[in-house]
Amino acid sequence: MKKELVELRVNGRTYELAIESSKLLLDVLRQDLDLTGSKRGCDESSCGACTVLVDGIPMLSCALLAASCEGQEITTVEGVSEHGSLAAIQKAYGDWGGSQCGFCTPGFMMTVKHLIAGNDEPTDADIRAALSGNLCRCTGYEQMYQAIKSAIDAERREIGVAQ
Amino acid sequence: MSDFSIIGKPIAMVDAAGKTTGAGKYTDDLSVPGMLYGKILHSPHPHARIISVDTSRAAKLPGVVAVVTGKDAPNPYGILPVGHDERAMALDKVRYVGDNVACVAAETEFIAEQALELIDVKYEVLPAYFDPEESMKAQSDFIHDNKPQNIEKDYHHVFGDPDKAFNEADYVAEARFIAQEVTHAAMEPHSTLASFEIDSQTGKPGRLTVWSSTQVPYYLQHKLSLVLEMPMSQIRVIKPLVGGGFGGKSEVIPLEIIAAVAARAAQKPVKITYTREEVFLAHRGRPRTIVDLKTGVKNDGSITAVKARVIQDGGAYCSYGVVTILYSGALLGALYDIPNIQYDGYRVLTNKPVCGAMRGHGTVNVRFAFESQLDEIALQLKMDSAAIRRRNLLKAPCITVNGLRVQSYGLPECIDQVVTRSQWNERKGKLAKSRGLGIACSHYVSGAANSIIRSDMPHSTVNIKIDRDGGIVVYTGASDIGQGSDTMVAQIAAEVLGCSMARVKVIAADTDLTPIDIGSYSSRVTFMNGNATLRAAQDVKKQIATAAARKMDCTLDDLIFRDDVVVNKSATVAKTPANGNQPTVVHAEASVSGRVEGQILRGSLQQKRKDEGPKAKLSFEEAVVAAIDFHGALSGTGSYAPPPEARGGKHKGAGVGPSPAYSYSAQVAEVSVDEETGEVTVHKVWASHDCGRALNPTSVEGQIIGSVWMGMGQALTEEMVWKDGLLMNPGLLEYRSPSSVESPVVEAIIVESVDPEGPFGAKEASEGSLAATIPAIANAIYDALGIRLRESPFTPERVLSALRAKKKQKHINLTEGVDPTAPTTFREHGGSLCFKGKGPERHALDPARREFHVAKGGAD
Amino acid sequence: MSLPEFKLLRPRTVQEAVDLLAQHSGNVRILAGGTDLVPSMRQKLFEPQYVVDIRHISALNGMTPLRDGAVEIGALTSLTAIERSPYLRQHYSVLSEAAGTVASPVLRNMGTIGGNICLDTRCLWYNQSLQWRKSCGFCIKKDGDLCHVAPGGSKCWAAFSGDTPPALLCLNADLEIISAAGVRRMPLTEFYTGDGVAYRKLQPGELVTRVFLPAASADYRGIYRKLRVRGSIDYPLAGVAVVLKHENGHIADARVALTAVNPAPLLVKGVTAALFGNVLDESLAEVVGDMAAKTAKPLTTSALTPEYRREMIRVFTKRALLAAAN
Repeated sequence: MKKELVELRVNGRTYELAIESSKLLLDVLRQDLDLTGSKRGCDESSCGACTVLVDGIPMLSCALLAASCEGQEITTVEGVSEHGSLAAIQKAYGDWGGSQCGFCTPGFMMTVKHLIAGNDEPTDADIRAALSGNLCRCTGYEQMYQAIKSAIDAERREIGVAQ
Repeated sequence: MSDFSIIGKPIAMVDAAGKTTGAGKYTDDLSVPGMLYGKILHSPHPHARIISVDTSRAAKLPGVVAVVTGKDAPNPYGILPVGHDERAMALDKVRYVGDNVACVAAETEFIAEQALELIDVKYEVLPAYFDPEESMKAQSDFIHDNKPQNIEKDYHHVFGDPDKAFNEADYVAEARFIAQEVTHAAMEPHSTLASFEIDSQTGKPGRLTVWSSTQVPYYLQHKLSLVLEMPMSQIRVIKPLVGGGFGGKSEVIPLEIIAAVAARAAQKPVKITYTREEVFLAHRGRPRTIVDLKTGVKNDGSITAVKARVIQDGGAYCSYGVVTILYSGALLGALYDIPNIQYDGYRVLTNKPVCGAMRGHGTVNVRFAFESQLDEIALQLKMDSAAIRRRNLLKAPCITVNGLRVQSYGLPECIDQVVTRSQWNERKGKLAKSRGLGIACSHYVSGAANSIIRSDMPHSTVNIKIDRDGGIVVYTGASDIGQGSDTMVAQIAAEVLGCSMARVKVIAADTDLTPIDIGSYSSRVTFMNGNATLRAAQDVKKQIATAAARKMDCTLDDLIFRDDVVVNKSATVAKTPANGNQPTVVHAEASVSGRVEGQILRGSLQQKRKDEGPKAKLSFEEAVVAAIDFHGALSGTGSYAPPPEARGGKHKGAGVGPSPAYSYSAQVAEVSVDEETGEVTVHKVWASHDCGRALNPTSVEGQIIGSVWMGMGQALTEEMVWKDGLLMNPGLLEYRSPSSVESPVVEAIIVESVDPEGPFGAKEASEGSLAATIPAIANAIYDALGIRLRESPFTPERVLSALRAKKKQKHINLTEGVDPTAPTTFREHGGSLCFKGKGPERHALDPARREFHVAKGGAD
Repeated sequence: MSLPEFKLLRPRTVQEAVDLLAQHSGNVRILAGGTDLVPSMRQKLFEPQYVVDIRHISALNGMTPLRDGAVEIGALTSLTAIERSPYLRQHYSVLSEAAGTVASPVLRNMGTIGGNICLDTRCLWYNQSLQWRKSCGFCIKKDGDLCHVAPGGSKCWAAFSGDTPPALLCLNADLEIISAAGVRRMPLTEFYTGDGVAYRKLQPGELVTRVFLPAASADYRGIYRKLRVRGSIDYPLAGVAVVLKHENGHIADARVALTAVNPAPLLVKGVTAALFGNVLDESLAEVVGDMAAKTAKPLTTSALTPEYRREMIRVFTKRALLAAAN
């Protein structure tokens, strides 16, 4: 199949790519842009390991075609770190055991980033509901809840300090 | 307050940032120049003879570089020396839907998939066996010619005098329990990248490097050597980050061999990554298990005897099967004091994907039966469920009737903890309607005392090298699969050497660089590799201490290694203020001399101090420099082999079950059941786990919670559903591992019995808790509703069916998929329950049989 | 599993889209959220030559309350938007509740109301990879001529498994369908055929563009109950939507619709007649539950047994009615 020129915005950078228009966003990220943080965990768009933000909204890059995302701002896990160091949620997931094997973690990072961007005081039920599209097989999710709460606290402290 | 500076502290995993930033690389994230993509052709038949395989059309497709079949690598292999029954790809027969037939290596995944469609295979279909009890009656067409009656292995153990003991029992309970098949479903699909170097002398493929998602790099190296007929020294296996294993990567999985065979034929690197469906077909999960269990007790609740007949539906190849069936019997011991045991175990072959080792290997399904039956007995005797468990505790240290040595035994405290925390005594029997509490216990080995390959070789060896700047490199064969073994190793090395974690770099699981370790399975890594690390660190510490003592003009015993400083304790007491060996001053100086934010500032104070006289303290770097100046290169080594006393009895099959130490768990589950729908909600699980000592409490709690959670999945939602040998739910959408919404709160409670032989007293933490969860939930459901569920998972239809039967409501057939419109003669399509063993022979209208139909139709 | 190769066409307007559909009719699929089509294409259930990507037709995204109190919903409105819309939550709560149960949050961000209405019917013998389907000799819905679920007949029993259509049926929703030939409007009740293969009445070249909720359906009390194994991700194994309207303390109107237990979402017949003028009580709710259970014809197309799913239709209908009445 003939390739087409597609312009993608990923993590604030613009890439001009020659790709088949039938190529999955996940495959383009992993194979063409070497952004291997987004993972392929299933083949039926149900596990959430490939979650990215499209215009700030969590979506599955295994159910999106790359060419279809032209003109949209894509954020992958590689774009989550802030100012060259770990974002609060990344640090907290490490400290609280939110990540064990880590394969689902990039997807969770995107989901949690979106959750705390829109809700700085999520209840336990909010958190459980928000995470329910990402499967994890190691943690039983429990330590993630602590990580998320601690990340929110850390961000709040940081804002406090800045003010 | 412990005496440790690093052990026992919650520490983020050393590779955590790689995981949260996406920078960490798993096998499928890797690519090398010229790499091809491999795709495997699988059998569509559960049991068939291969008449011919014609790959010529596929080979001609542009972009295809190589097509390989069984003939390209015919040597048999298998994880157990007694079970070498697998081949890279099938030679003569296929034995399950999904068995491996051929592999294409092509420039793109798309081309490789297309080429699979062009491979022509002719099969002669054979009768197939899907039910183990049916399979055991087979008279012909055995799945393996050398396994009559399709029995992979059977064992018959008698310890004590069970018959006499049953006669003497006041009460005997007897029932059949069934646990349906489950699988690991680790988030990372298996992936292997194999690359040959071109031999500089011959120009042919020479040394092989394999990157693979494996728990057992050294076994992989060994099996590759067998199949490819290459010396092990010519094969390098590297384990990148692994996205979960749970046993599913604890043996050599077909793609690992096939990738190498394809790479050799293609003379180019080949990567194969399984689709999720292929992961389910590679399987190696927990077999469907039928347990006929009989337990005798005295009126005071003490167990007189246990008799278990266990049948495991092992699938088409041996895998770990012999070990699984032995664990199921052996682990009836070591938890409680059972003086008389009879065990009859059958590992049976069927034409389905292969079962193997899965978290809680061998013990889980039998424990479900045992702990459920114990609850039934308690009810009969009008005893409290916690009390009957306390009644039957071992008197440790001891050796069980089946030869297992028990030293540290934290089960009594585990039970106390969950009883207290759940307010068992106050709340049991007093909860709202349809709500209940259940208790159960479990245990697991901290590694097998006898390795799979019989030899006297140490099970783990670790090397440590220390550089002049005080940087420590630990070379370990331990395979971190997400459980945190790299972190554990770093912690032990840092603790022994009295320095900060930031100094320690772990190089792990690379067969060229790291000394042999038999792998991450049977929960052996903390105990065995931890001990090896401890010894290696002590070895190198001794060398540093010798040099430091000379320099400080004191004896080795005077030296304390802590907080990046080596202190002469007799000297420091005089010099530092009252708080003795916790000198904050020393700590501050250490950071000036050596480290700022993990950076080494070279040549700072070291040089200046060189010419001064004997000192009260040296920075870690100074001590290291002194040692290197004194010994030359600074390195240490340590290894671990389980002691002979821990290796079990002499009976046939006694090799499986013994461990240097056992972990213990007790759990209380609180559930509620919707009486109209049968839906079970697990609200909370209190789980205490005796891990000896928690080296890293965050990790230990994570392992406990994860085990409990996985047990809950098996208890409620997870089940592999089969129809005629076809897996109906080969994906994460239909194989339902729980989401965050229905996952319970798990309160993890660490119990530390401090094992005399474990590293700093540590034992297993990752598997032992799983087995207690299923019976704890079953017992809680009984408490809630008075129904005893003897078949897992406790799906809503099974619960509702039992409930309606109890209430004597109108019987509706809730648990069997009956299609009212289907004529009975076509039942083979409706479910394996009704399948009559005709194998893949199908309904006349089925296109697979269309030719038959047309021929018959013409004759009418 | 890679996607089949196709050419992606990206119209920006409805007119462009229907022109493209007309041009390539027969060998084209429409891509909206992608959550149903993309995995199915990977399983080679569809191997179109062209895919018309309508994601960026902004005219079809969003809700417009109309002057008479009705509401018009663009087919590309995400399920998350429907779930969260304060207007729908207030006036058409059964729809926002149903939308909020679809799959998982991330899939609701992608999935659209139009896609949920057009969702392909599902079956364990159908939603499988090409390799898997070969192993069973294919099935009547795709590439074969036998229904494994009911081999005695020649009908496909794949179950319609959308969550929002039963809610929309209760609300008497209409669809706007556009093709190159023009615009037509069709009640949702007439959209589904009841056959698992040709499960909806959409001609080649046609595009579902809008959903209309009539003003007369506003402010009913509505409840959606979904049977699933997990609290998230799963398709419904049985689903019941009910709406009720009271006048002077008595039921003036009531509707019950089912999903995931037949090849089409269905309104249960005779519910209004059974309930009209009554005050709902347990026994009346049970009567309607029995009516719903009789309407449901679940087969072994999914997890959990057919008898159990039918029984749950009975229980859920009763419970949903009682909840809506309170």
